[in-house]
Amino acid sequence: MIQPQTHLNVADNSGARELMCIRIIGASNRRYAYIGDIVVAVIKEAVPNTPLERSEVIRAVIVRTCKELKRSNGIIIHYNDNAAVIIDQEGNPKGTRIFGAIARELRQLNFTKIVSLAPEVL
Amino acid sequence: MMWGVIRSRTCSLSSLVQQWKRTFTINAVNQNNILELQEIEKILTDVKADDVKVIPVPKHCDWADFMVLATGRSTWHAKQKQKGAQRMLLPSVQGQAGGKWIVVDSGKVIVHALDEKARAYYNLEGLWTPETLQKDPIDEDLEKAMVKVRRINNSKKKPAQKNA
Repeated sequence: MIQPQTHLNVADNSGARELMCIRIIGASNRRYAYIGDIVVAVIKEAVPNTPLERSEVIRAVIVRTCKELKRSNGIIIHYNDNAAVIIDQEGNPKGTRIFGAIARELRQLNFTKIVSLAPEVL
Repeated sequence: MMWGVIRSRTCSLSSLVQQWKRTFTINAVNQNNILELQEIEKILTDVKADDVKVIPVPKHCDWADFMVLATGRSTWHAKQKQKGAQRMLLPSVQGQAGGKWIVVDSGKVIVHALDEKARAYYNLEGLWTPETLQKDPIDEDLEKAMVKVRRINNSKKKPAQKNA
Protein backbone atom coordinates (compact mmCIF):
# COMPACT_ATOMS: atom_id res chain seq x y z
CA MET A 1 0.00 0.00 0.00
CA ILE A 2 2.08 2.85 -1.32
CA GLN A 3 0.59 6.30 -1.10
CA PRO A 4 2.01 9.79 -1.56
CA GLN A 5 4.69 10.54 1.05
CA THR A 6 5.69 6.86 1.33
CA HIS A 7 9.44 6.33 1.25
CA LEU A 8 10.67 3.52 -0.98
CA ASN A 9 13.97 1.72 -1.34
CA VAL A 10 15.50 1.46 -4.81
CA ALA A 11 15.99 -2.09 -6.09
CA ASP A 12 18.36 -1.31 -8.98
CA ASN A 13 21.78 0.14 -9.69
CA SER A 14 20.53 3.41 -11.17
CA GLY A 15 22.22 5.44 -8.44
CA ALA A 16 19.22 6.54 -6.40
CA ARG A 17 18.95 5.16 -2.91
CA GLU A 18 15.66 6.33 -1.57
CA LEU A 19 12.49 7.59 -3.22
CA MET A 20 9.37 9.26 -1.97
CA CYS A 21 6.11 8.58 -3.78
CA ILE A 22 4.33 11.77 -4.76
CA ARG A 23 1.62 10.50 -7.09
CA ILE A 24 0.11 7.23 -8.23
CA ILE A 25 -0.55 6.88 -11.92
CA GLY A 26 -3.87 5.38 -12.92
CA ALA A 27 -7.16 6.86 -11.91
CA SER A 28 -7.61 10.47 -10.83
CA ASN A 29 -8.21 9.80 -7.19
CA ARG A 30 -6.38 6.60 -6.56
CA ARG A 31 -5.30 5.94 -3.00
CA TYR A 32 -2.81 3.11 -2.94
CA ALA A 33 -0.31 1.53 -5.28
CA TYR A 34 0.61 -2.15 -5.12
CA ILE A 35 3.17 -4.37 -6.84
CA GLY A 36 3.33 -3.58 -10.54
CA ASP A 37 1.89 -0.08 -10.32
CA ILE A 38 3.70 2.97 -11.64
CA VAL A 39 4.21 5.90 -9.31
CA VAL A 40 5.73 9.32 -9.72
CA ALA A 41 8.43 9.74 -7.12
CA VAL A 42 11.08 12.16 -6.03
CA ILE A 43 14.63 11.07 -5.25
CA LYS A 44 15.36 11.69 -1.60
CA GLU A 45 18.82 10.25 -1.48
CA ALA A 46 21.26 9.39 -4.25
CA VAL A 47 24.74 7.93 -4.58
CA PRO A 48 27.21 10.73 -5.35
CA ASN A 49 28.55 11.09 -8.91
CA THR A 50 25.69 9.29 -10.63
CA PRO A 51 23.38 10.64 -13.34
CA LEU A 52 20.45 10.79 -10.94
CA GLU A 53 20.40 13.50 -8.31
CA ARG A 54 18.51 14.32 -5.19
CA SER A 55 15.16 16.06 -5.66
CA GLU A 56 14.75 14.80 -9.22
CA VAL A 57 11.26 13.65 -10.22
CA ILE A 58 11.13 10.24 -11.87
CA ARG A 59 8.77 7.36 -12.55
CA ALA A 60 9.14 4.05 -10.79
CA VAL A 61 7.51 0.62 -10.76
CA ILE A 62 6.80 -0.91 -7.38
CA VAL A 63 8.39 -4.34 -7.11
CA ARG A 64 8.16 -5.18 -3.40
CA THR A 65 5.65 -4.19 -0.77
CA CYS A 66 5.25 -4.91 2.91
CA LYS A 67 1.55 -5.32 2.22
CA GLU A 68 0.96 -8.91 1.27
CA LEU A 69 0.23 -9.95 -2.30
CA LYS A 70 -2.34 -12.70 -2.67
CA ARG A 71 -2.42 -15.16 -5.53
CA SER A 72 -5.44 -17.11 -6.62
CA ASN A 73 -3.79 -20.39 -5.57
CA GLY A 74 -3.52 -19.26 -1.97
CA ILE A 75 0.10 -18.16 -1.92
CA ILE A 76 0.72 -14.95 -0.01
CA ILE A 77 3.91 -12.97 -0.55
CA HIS A 78 5.04 -10.08 1.54
CA TYR A 79 8.47 -8.54 1.70
CA ASN A 80 10.31 -6.74 4.44
CA ASP A 81 10.57 -3.50 2.54
CA ASN A 82 8.86 -1.32 0.01
CA ALA A 83 11.02 -1.14 -3.08
CA ALA A 84 10.74 0.29 -6.57
CA VAL A 85 12.67 0.23 -9.87
CA ILE A 86 13.22 3.48 -11.73
CA ILE A 87 11.95 3.55 -15.32
CA ASP A 88 11.71 6.16 -18.05
CA GLN A 89 8.62 7.20 -19.97
CA GLU A 90 8.95 4.27 -22.37
CA GLY A 91 9.20 1.71 -19.58
CA ASN A 92 12.89 0.96 -19.97
CA PRO A 93 14.64 0.51 -16.64
CA LYS A 94 17.18 3.21 -15.79
CA GLY A 95 19.54 0.82 -14.06
CA THR A 96 21.08 -2.23 -15.70
CA ARG A 97 20.76 -4.69 -12.83
CA ILE A 98 18.05 -5.37 -10.31
CA PHE A 99 18.55 -6.55 -6.76
CA GLY A 100 16.44 -8.85 -4.68
CA ALA A 101 13.52 -11.10 -5.38
CA ILE A 102 10.71 -9.97 -7.64
CA ALA A 103 7.16 -11.24 -8.01
CA ARG A 104 6.01 -13.09 -11.11
CA GLU A 105 3.04 -10.75 -11.48
CA LEU A 106 5.27 -8.10 -13.04
CA ARG A 107 5.55 -10.20 -16.16
CA GLN A 108 1.81 -10.27 -16.67
CA LEU A 109 1.75 -6.52 -16.14
CA ASN A 110 4.13 -6.06 -19.09
CA PHE A 111 7.34 -5.43 -17.19
CA THR A 112 9.22 -8.32 -18.80
CA LYS A 113 12.32 -6.16 -19.06
CA ILE A 114 12.48 -5.80 -15.31
CA VAL A 115 11.76 -9.49 -14.80
CA SER A 116 14.50 -10.52 -17.23
CA LEU A 117 17.04 -8.43 -15.34
CA ALA A 118 16.05 -9.73 -11.93
CA PRO A 119 18.17 -12.33 -10.15
CA GLU A 120 15.24 -14.18 -8.65
CA VAL A 121 11.59 -14.43 -9.61
CA LEU A 122 9.11 -15.60 -7.00
CA MET B 1 -6.92 -18.51 -34.02
CA MET B 2 -3.20 -18.29 -34.76
CA TRP B 3 -2.60 -17.24 -31.21
CA GLY B 4 -4.29 -20.33 -29.91
CA VAL B 5 -2.21 -22.53 -32.14
CA ILE B 6 1.00 -20.98 -30.94
CA ARG B 7 -0.12 -21.20 -27.34
CA SER B 8 -0.86 -24.88 -27.62
CA ARG B 9 2.45 -25.41 -29.31
CA THR B 10 4.31 -23.69 -26.50
CA CYS B 11 2.40 -25.81 -24.00
CA SER B 12 3.41 -29.05 -25.67
CA LEU B 13 6.93 -27.72 -25.97
CA SER B 14 7.11 -26.88 -22.31
CA SER B 15 6.41 -30.48 -21.42
CA LEU B 16 9.11 -31.54 -23.84
CA VAL B 17 11.49 -29.05 -22.36
CA GLN B 18 10.80 -30.38 -18.92
CA GLN B 19 11.81 -33.79 -20.17
CA TRP B 20 14.94 -32.20 -21.45
CA LYS B 21 15.69 -30.67 -18.10
CA ARG B 22 16.31 -34.13 -16.79
CA THR B 23 18.81 -34.95 -19.48
CA PHE B 24 20.63 -31.62 -19.35
CA THR B 25 22.06 -31.72 -22.84
CA ILE B 26 21.95 -28.82 -25.20
CA ASN B 27 21.69 -30.93 -28.33
CA ALA B 28 18.54 -32.54 -27.09
CA VAL B 29 17.08 -29.09 -26.54
CA ASN B 30 17.52 -28.05 -30.07
CA GLN B 31 15.76 -31.16 -31.27
CA ASN B 32 12.85 -30.74 -28.93
CA ASN B 33 12.46 -27.07 -29.40
CA ILE B 34 13.16 -26.99 -33.09
CA LEU B 35 9.86 -25.46 -34.19
CA GLU B 36 9.62 -22.49 -31.94
CA LEU B 37 13.25 -21.46 -31.94
CA GLN B 38 13.69 -21.97 -35.65
CA GLU B 39 10.66 -19.90 -36.43
CA ILE B 40 12.02 -17.06 -34.39
CA GLU B 41 15.47 -17.31 -35.88
CA LYS B 42 14.02 -17.41 -39.35
CA ILE B 43 12.08 -14.24 -38.78
CA LEU B 44 15.10 -12.55 -37.27
CA THR B 45 17.16 -13.41 -40.32
CA ASP B 46 14.32 -12.28 -42.54
CA VAL B 47 14.53 -8.79 -41.11
CA LYS B 48 18.35 -8.98 -41.13
CA ALA B 49 18.97 -8.69 -37.45
CA ASP B 50 22.61 -8.66 -36.44
CA ASP B 51 24.32 -10.77 -33.86
CA VAL B 52 21.52 -13.16 -32.98
CA LYS B 53 22.24 -15.14 -29.85
CA VAL B 54 20.23 -17.90 -28.23
CA ILE B 55 20.90 -18.47 -24.56
CA PRO B 56 19.30 -21.33 -22.65
CA VAL B 57 18.61 -20.10 -19.14
CA PRO B 58 16.92 -22.88 -17.20
CA LYS B 59 19.11 -22.60 -14.12
CA HIS B 60 19.08 -18.87 -13.93
CA CYS B 61 15.36 -18.34 -14.04
CA ASP B 62 12.58 -20.87 -14.01
CA TRP B 63 10.08 -18.64 -15.77
CA ALA B 64 11.72 -18.97 -19.18
CA ASP B 65 13.93 -21.43 -21.00
CA PHE B 66 15.49 -19.43 -23.78
CA MET B 67 16.56 -15.87 -24.28
CA VAL B 68 17.04 -14.79 -27.86
CA LEU B 69 19.04 -11.61 -28.31
CA ALA B 70 19.23 -9.56 -31.47
CA THR B 71 20.60 -6.18 -32.43
CA GLY B 72 19.03 -3.74 -34.82
CA ARG B 73 21.09 -1.24 -36.77
CA SER B 74 18.84 1.59 -35.68
CA THR B 75 15.75 2.12 -33.59
CA TRP B 76 13.78 1.99 -36.79
CA HIS B 77 15.34 -1.34 -37.64
CA ALA B 78 14.57 -2.71 -34.22
CA LYS B 79 10.97 -1.68 -34.74
CA GLN B 80 10.89 -3.62 -37.98
CA LYS B 81 11.77 -6.72 -36.05
CA GLN B 82 8.86 -6.14 -33.84
CA LYS B 83 6.68 -5.94 -36.95
CA GLY B 84 8.05 -9.32 -37.91
CA ALA B 85 6.99 -10.55 -34.54
CA GLN B 86 3.52 -9.22 -35.10
CA ARG B 87 3.34 -11.27 -38.24
CA MET B 88 3.72 -14.26 -35.99
CA LEU B 89 1.02 -12.90 -33.66
CA LEU B 90 2.96 -13.52 -30.52
CA PRO B 91 1.26 -12.95 -27.20
CA SER B 92 2.95 -9.90 -25.80
CA VAL B 93 5.19 -7.24 -27.26
CA GLN B 94 6.62 -4.46 -25.14
CA GLY B 95 8.52 -1.29 -25.83
CA GLN B 96 7.43 -0.79 -29.43
CA ALA B 97 7.04 2.96 -29.08
CA GLY B 98 10.63 3.66 -28.09
CA GLY B 99 12.35 1.09 -30.20
CA LYS B 100 15.45 0.90 -28.02
CA TRP B 101 14.56 -2.35 -26.39
CA ILE B 102 11.68 -4.48 -27.62
CA VAL B 103 10.73 -7.61 -25.77
CA VAL B 104 8.60 -10.32 -27.32
CA ASP B 105 7.36 -12.58 -24.59
CA SER B 106 6.09 -15.88 -25.93
CA GLY B 107 5.89 -18.05 -22.88
CA LYS B 108 9.06 -20.07 -22.56
CA VAL B 109 11.02 -18.20 -25.20
CA ILE B 110 11.73 -14.51 -24.82
CA VAL B 111 13.08 -12.44 -27.68
CA HIS B 112 14.94 -9.24 -26.96
CA ALA B 113 15.54 -6.85 -29.81
CA LEU B 114 17.82 -4.02 -28.83
CA ASP B 115 19.64 -1.23 -30.59
CA GLU B 116 23.40 -1.28 -30.29
CA LYS B 117 23.75 1.23 -27.49
CA ALA B 118 21.07 -0.38 -25.40
CA ARG B 119 22.68 -3.76 -25.89
CA ALA B 120 26.00 -2.51 -24.62
CA TYR B 121 24.31 -0.65 -21.78
CA TYR B 122 22.25 -3.48 -20.38
CA ASN B 123 24.80 -6.21 -21.20
CA LEU B 124 22.23 -8.98 -21.09
CA GLU B 125 24.68 -11.63 -22.25
CA GLY B 126 26.90 -10.81 -19.31
CA LEU B 127 23.98 -11.22 -16.99
CA TRP B 128 22.87 -14.61 -18.22
CA THR B 129 25.93 -16.44 -19.47
CA PRO B 130 28.40 -16.36 -16.56
CA GLU B 131 25.77 -16.94 -13.94
CA THR B 132 24.45 -20.02 -15.62
CA LEU B 133 27.95 -21.43 -15.62
CA GLN B 134 28.59 -20.54 -12.02
CA LYS B 135 27.58 -23.00 -9.37
CA ASP B 136 25.32 -21.90 -6.60
CA PRO B 137 27.12 -21.64 -3.26
CA ILE B 138 24.30 -23.59 -1.65
CA ASP B 139 24.75 -26.41 -4.14
CA GLU B 140 28.45 -26.56 -3.41
CA ASP B 141 27.80 -26.71 0.30
CA LEU B 142 25.37 -29.53 -0.27
CA GLU B 143 27.92 -31.42 -2.33
CA LYS B 144 30.44 -31.06 0.44
CA ALA B 145 27.93 -32.27 2.97
CA MET B 146 27.23 -35.39 0.95
CA VAL B 147 30.88 -36.40 0.60
CA LYS B 148 32.15 -38.46 3.48
CA VAL B 149 35.39 -37.10 4.81
CA ARG B 150 37.46 -39.29 7.06
CA ARG B 151 39.37 -37.52 9.76
CA ILE B 152 43.11 -37.86 9.63
CA ASN B 153 44.31 -40.29 12.20
CA ASN B 154 47.12 -38.61 14.10
CA SER B 155 47.35 -41.13 16.92
CA LYS B 156 50.24 -42.99 15.35
CA LYS B 157 52.13 -39.89 14.31
CA LYS B 158 52.36 -38.34 17.73
CA PRO B 159 55.11 -40.50 19.19
CA ALA B 160 57.18 -39.89 16.08
CA GLN B 161 56.90 -36.13 16.61
CA LYS B 162 57.92 -36.56 20.23
CA ASN B 163 61.03 -38.41 19.22
CA ALA B 164 61.94 -35.70 16.77
